[in-house]
Amino acid sequence: MSDFILILPEICLLLTLIFVIVAEITYHGEQVRWVKATALVGLGAALVQTVVAYQYGPIQVFHQAFAVDGLSLFFKLFFITLAALALIASAHTREIPRSRQAEYCALVIASTLGMCVASSASDLLLAFLSLQFVNILAFFIAGYGKRSLHSIEAAVKYMITSAVGGALLLYGLALLFSVTHTMNVYEIHRALVAAPLSAEHTLAILMLVLLSFSFQLGAFPMYFWMPDVIEGAPTPASGFLSLSVRAVGLAVALRFLIAIFAQPGSAEGQWQVLGSVDWTNIVALISAASMLIGSLLALRQEGAKRLIGNLLIAQTGFLLLGLLVLDQIGVAAVFYNLVIELFSLIGIFYVLAYLLEEFKTDRLTGLRGMMGKAVPESICLVLFLLTLIGIPPMPGFIGKFTLIGAAVRHDRLSLAVVAILSMTLSTVGVARLAYSLAGDLRMTVAFPAASSVKRQLFLAALIGPIVLFGVFAEHILNWAGKSVSFILW
Amino acid sequence: MSQHLITLMILLPFVGAILQAFVPNPPGAGRWIALAASVLASVCGVALVASLQGQTADLQAIESLPWIGSFAISYEMGIDGLNALLVLLVAIIFPVLVGYEWNQKLGRRGVHGLFLLLQCALFGTVCAQDLFLQFFFWAFTSIPVYFLVAIWGGEERENAAFRSLVAASIGNALLFAALILIYYSVEPHTFALKELAGGRFSARAFHLFGSEFPVSGVAFALIGAGLALRIPVWPVHGWFTQIAEEAPPSVLVAFAGATVPVAIYVFIRLTYALFPEILSSASGTIMAVGAMNLVIGGICAVAQRSLRPLLAFVCLGQVGFMLLGIGSLSSAGLVGAVYQQFVVGLGLAGFALLLGIVIDRVGHADFMSGGGNKGERSFGGVAVRAPTVAIVAGIFIASLLGFPGSGGFVGNALVMIGSYSALPGLVLLAGAAVLLAAYYLFTMYRHVFLGKPRAEGAEFKDLSLRERALILPLAASLLAFGIYPKPLLELVRPTVLTLLSTVK
Repeated sequence: MSDFILILPEICLLLTLIFVIVAEITYHGEQVRWVKATALVGLGAALVQTVVAYQYGPIQVFHQAFAVDGLSLFFKLFFITLAALALIASAHTREIPRSRQAEYCALVIASTLGMCVASSASDLLLAFLSLQFVNILAFFIAGYGKRSLHSIEAAVKYMITSAVGGALLLYGLALLFSVTHTMNVYEIHRALVAAPLSAEHTLAILMLVLLSFSFQLGAFPMYFWMPDVIEGAPTPASGFLSLSVRAVGLAVALRFLIAIFAQPGSAEGQWQVLGSVDWTNIVALISAASMLIGSLLALRQEGAKRLIGNLLIAQTGFLLLGLLVLDQIGVAAVFYNLVIELFSLIGIFYVLAYLLEEFKTDRLTGLRGMMGKAVPESICLVLFLLTLIGIPPMPGFIGKFTLIGAAVRHDRLSLAVVAILSMTLSTVGVARLAYSLAGDLRMTVAFPAASSVKRQLFLAALIGPIVLFGVFAEHILNWAGKSVSFILW
Repeated sequence: MSQHLITLMILLPFVGAILQAFVPNPPGAGRWIALAASVLASVCGVALVASLQGQTADLQAIESLPWIGSFAISYEMGIDGLNALLVLLVAIIFPVLVGYEWNQKLGRRGVHGLFLLLQCALFGTVCAQDLFLQFFFWAFTSIPVYFLVAIWGGEERENAAFRSLVAASIGNALLFAALILIYYSVEPHTFALKELAGGRFSARAFHLFGSEFPVSGVAFALIGAGLALRIPVWPVHGWFTQIAEEAPPSVLVAFAGATVPVAIYVFIRLTYALFPEILSSASGTIMAVGAMNLVIGGICAVAQRSLRPLLAFVCLGQVGFMLLGIGSLSSAGLVGAVYQQFVVGLGLAGFALLLGIVIDRVGHADFMSGGGNKGERSFGGVAVRAPTVAIVAGIFIASLLGFPGSGGFVGNALVMIGSYSALPGLVLLAGAAVLLAAYYLFTMYRHVFLGKPRAEGAEFKDLSLRERALILPLAASLLAFGIYPKPLLELVRPTVLTLLSTVK
């Protein structure tokens, strides 16, 4: 019975999903619909359950298939908040028609359920299945703009790459299973400690799995889908996908890499590579290439959404910096950055959705002079962008500093150099977008767009936490650090 | 209350920027809030400087609060002889800017908000005693300037603003790299300037791409290059001349008058405090770059026929002068360089303000026909129609040239005296540059103010009451501190002597 108490967040999500679906199929044209409210209440309940679960300590349930620890709880909080924000953000857009909001709601909640399970899964089969579940739903969400060719193209691209990624992951896991005869990450770890793998075998497994993760994270070398999907999907859906798919990949990758292929190091809070293959170098390569490619591609984009899509590749590269150093401070930095990204990306796509709707284009040339028409929205967009790429005075800078600092502390100076270079390039790319907003103010200042209190409130609700994360950075980092030390290894 | 003057001074413009953006109609209310915020912050700044005790090199009015403890980052503010004058400078210039854009038609709230943010960031940069905090504020200063130029600039504003931002981001990236290098080279890691001071890096090295580098040398180079990209320094000043062509005059006031001196200050603060041992070997390079700046600025200025590029090259030359003083490593030279930051800031701000007044009256800034300018676009004889403008312009030019009795004289003379002991040859060069400056500035003065009134000069109105109010603080402080510089110099000297004692 106590097992069920520990998976209450998932149960809550499942119940919410059922309510939403039942509400949708029993809908007979009533005036008032409570689908969104129901969903938000359900998400709120799940959030509370997750916070409550912290007190039960790191524990494994359901025959060790399911870990309730700092890592999974952090990611559950992250995913549930993401779903709530994504649902609120999608309410104000016409890209997802009113009649289909309930469907979208169900997809988002189902996807959240999948992600929560994936972040908890300490059984590799469970992790694989939930990842695939998330990916299939992401395929539907990406293709949600059924009438738009771009959206369909994005969905198909996503489906094909996710099929390849899933297959690679499965091959890798099969190889691992063939040696260790177990699917539980902690047992695999013990088996590997008892009987180390040969270097060739390890290399083959890691190559397959890292390739698959690079798809999931949108990192080099399988990053091609990222700009297409971000551009093609309906804008609120892009906001959701830009975070959900990457974050769930990161959650699984963290558990897989650190719980299986690392072991506690000499110092407290540090790990070292297990086995003869130093996979952190491979991750370093992925990270550096992603940072460079993402920020370089962003320089040449003509569409705002595509530009962000490319920046995301670079952001993933940054996040990997915190992973490859294999210590608690690095992982805490990853968590801090994820939280910052959550609010900034939702904000960016929210404003972009509004601009797209109001001005029918996301070409940089088409957005000319937007700052004169939609003043608060444009200013917020600039602030969100500064947060994303880490420019002072936004707290994104503190996040980037912690990540780059992690690399420097472990003598990966060349990686730090690449990271700083990538930050500079991203700034220039974002400056083009910012200029296109601000540039021709004098031509358009006469026709301000209608302002909406609801929209401004939501934007304030996104900016507020970002500012607080900067002021109380110490507390957030501490909390992230606690989450990390609370992980089962 | 008096313990929190620095914080108040930094926060007031920020709060004002937000308030004036959100205050509902009537539109007049916004600008009064903006002005009040800026003036109040400046009052705090002046009160702060007035309350400083002379005869001591210690930091005063210290405020310290832990911010991100796990990375040893703290909110640490303080003021000493090195930054007191800059607090004064920023305090004088920014209320003038808000007043200057009083009747801006296009997005006035935006202009005021960005200037207030810039004021906040500059105060923060000047007072911060924590490396991270200082970078935080300093990197932020590039963003308001970018938007001010990109939105309110001239025809080619996109290009100019973009180039300036690229230069600024590279500069910031280099500075950020230096910051990380410094932070991780000391044990325990820290950002506090007082703990980093005193040559703690002299024997440290780091490895990159398989080779070994000395920390202090590389960090010094990164800081130098990073700051050089943010201000007009030869050979990376191309973007600045373009900004000078396109930016609205008020932005030039802010940039040439405040941002440039603050960058010089950051350079002095970081290099003298952190790398005294490098400084003695790098002083030759600093002086050489300064001399190049003087020469290039002077020669290019002679060829200009418009006030805008002239301002750019005058600024270039003045930066060269300050670098000479910094590189001389003598007390007179360094005191001169610090004092020069203050008076050059005021002088350039005044020059840019006059440029704005001229553009306001005649619609362009070409004072001489021929060259790239179209035939009849020159004007002259303004002195007859607008005597006040002519007098005020005379004061600013005299100060930039270092005439006795103006603020520039003190700074110029001290720099010359100081660098003579270091490199006598360069001083001759500097003297020649001053003579050259006298030539081109008086040529400009003659073409604009003297001579026969031309058609356009005929309609030149004299200063309005508002414009007089704007120029008064600049001109008055230039004159006052030119005639009686003693209180300010006494504030600066102890700190400078302490800094120099670590170098030798």
